[in-house]
Amino acid sequence: MKNESTFIDVPAESSSAMKGKAPLIGVAKDHTTSGSGGYNRGLSIFDFLLRLAAIVAASVAAGTMFTSDETLPFFTQFLQFEAGYDDLPTFQFFVIAMSMVAGYIVLSLPISVVTIVRPLAAAPRLLLLVLDTAIMGLTMAAASSAAAISYVAHNGNQNTNWLPICQQFGDFCQKTSGAVVSSFVAVVFFMILVVLSGVALKRH
Amino acid sequence: MAKESTTIEVGEPSTMTKSTSHVVVDEKKKMGFVVATAGGGYKRGLAIFDFLLRLAAIVTTITASSVMYTAEETLPFFTQFLQFQAGYDDFATFQFFVIAIAMVASYLVLSLPFSIVTIIRPLAAAPRLILLVSDTVVVTLTTSAAAAATAIVYLAHNGNPNTNWLPICQQFGDFCQAVSSAVVAASIAVVFFIVLIVISAIALKRH
Repeated sequence: MKNESTFIDVPAESSSAMKGKAPLIGVAKDHTTSGSGGYNRGLSIFDFLLRLAAIVAASVAAGTMFTSDETLPFFTQFLQFEAGYDDLPTFQFFVIAMSMVAGYIVLSLPISVVTIVRPLAAAPRLLLLVLDTAIMGLTMAAASSAAAISYVAHNGNQNTNWLPICQQFGDFCQKTSGAVVSSFVAVVFFMILVVLSGVALKRH
Repeated sequence: MAKESTTIEVGEPSTMTKSTSHVVVDEKKKMGFVVATAGGGYKRGLAIFDFLLRLAAIVTTITASSVMYTAEETLPFFTQFLQFQAGYDDFATFQFFVIAIAMVASYLVLSLPFSIVTIIRPLAAAPRLILLVSDTVVVTLTTSAAAAATAIVYLAHNGNPNTNWLPICQQFGDFCQAVSSAVVAASIAVVFFIVLIVISAIALKRH
């Protein structure tokens, strides 16, 4: 091991100058204004607006089905002359389920606001994604079971001798079909919400 | 501006100083790599669970579809009002059920390679996002088929006095049993799908 000696000229102002040139390791990234935060905030705002639209769709579905009563001016021997949503258990399930869905969306609005205010927080988005998936399943179940009953009401079933009641209860059938369509629209909104949450979670 | 001169004893060869200055970078790289492996291990476990759930969901959906498809019954007698044969094609909803659940089963088989990719590359986000989006679409289809069939099965079991729809299960017991078990299997598949979606979301989050 050879000892080498060398002369180094150290200028007086060098220490302060070197202190001024701080190493670049400790530069903190400003997350609140980075591009990813802005993009996530845009997704959160779109999520909030979609939730408002889904509230409208779900409550319209529940309300239309709830008020779909019809009383015929005449009566026959075999069929009842009144029709309402509570004559069919599937429609009862539909009204209750869509009301619960509308209530859930209203309760999830604050969490959506939290994701707008804190675009990079992952926990609210994950919570929303899980809850939205479960509620989407409930909505789809209510919508498609009511659609099946509406189909039988419209067309009947010759093999089981189930007569189509829509031929007598036209208004009732129209309102229930409109309610079913509205609930399918709510399902589409939920699908978009779930995908939005997934995309926003990915961009961290 | 006073210039200072100082003598520095350079005892070690210059290569040693070069190696000490690299320690900072290497440690950072090493720590970063360790973090990546830990996250990768967690996600790999989730991906393996995802793969197993998909296999279970394939079994469930194929069971549901085939049980509904083969749910025929012919009664030894006949009455004036009811047909003495019952099959899945007597109900439009059951036809939809068979076709939709069969499509879901083939989707699951086609999604197995994506699931394997997420096992091999636990930190890749694109396969997981693809699986999340397509699982969301397919879960709505499965739920729709299962719920519609459930509504018709409920009608078949209980009938509806207000609309004079008679419960046919009293005559076609075997047909009703087969159809009900198909609906139950499809509902179990829906639960599997929801768990799959949640797994994909959790695995996407840990970035």
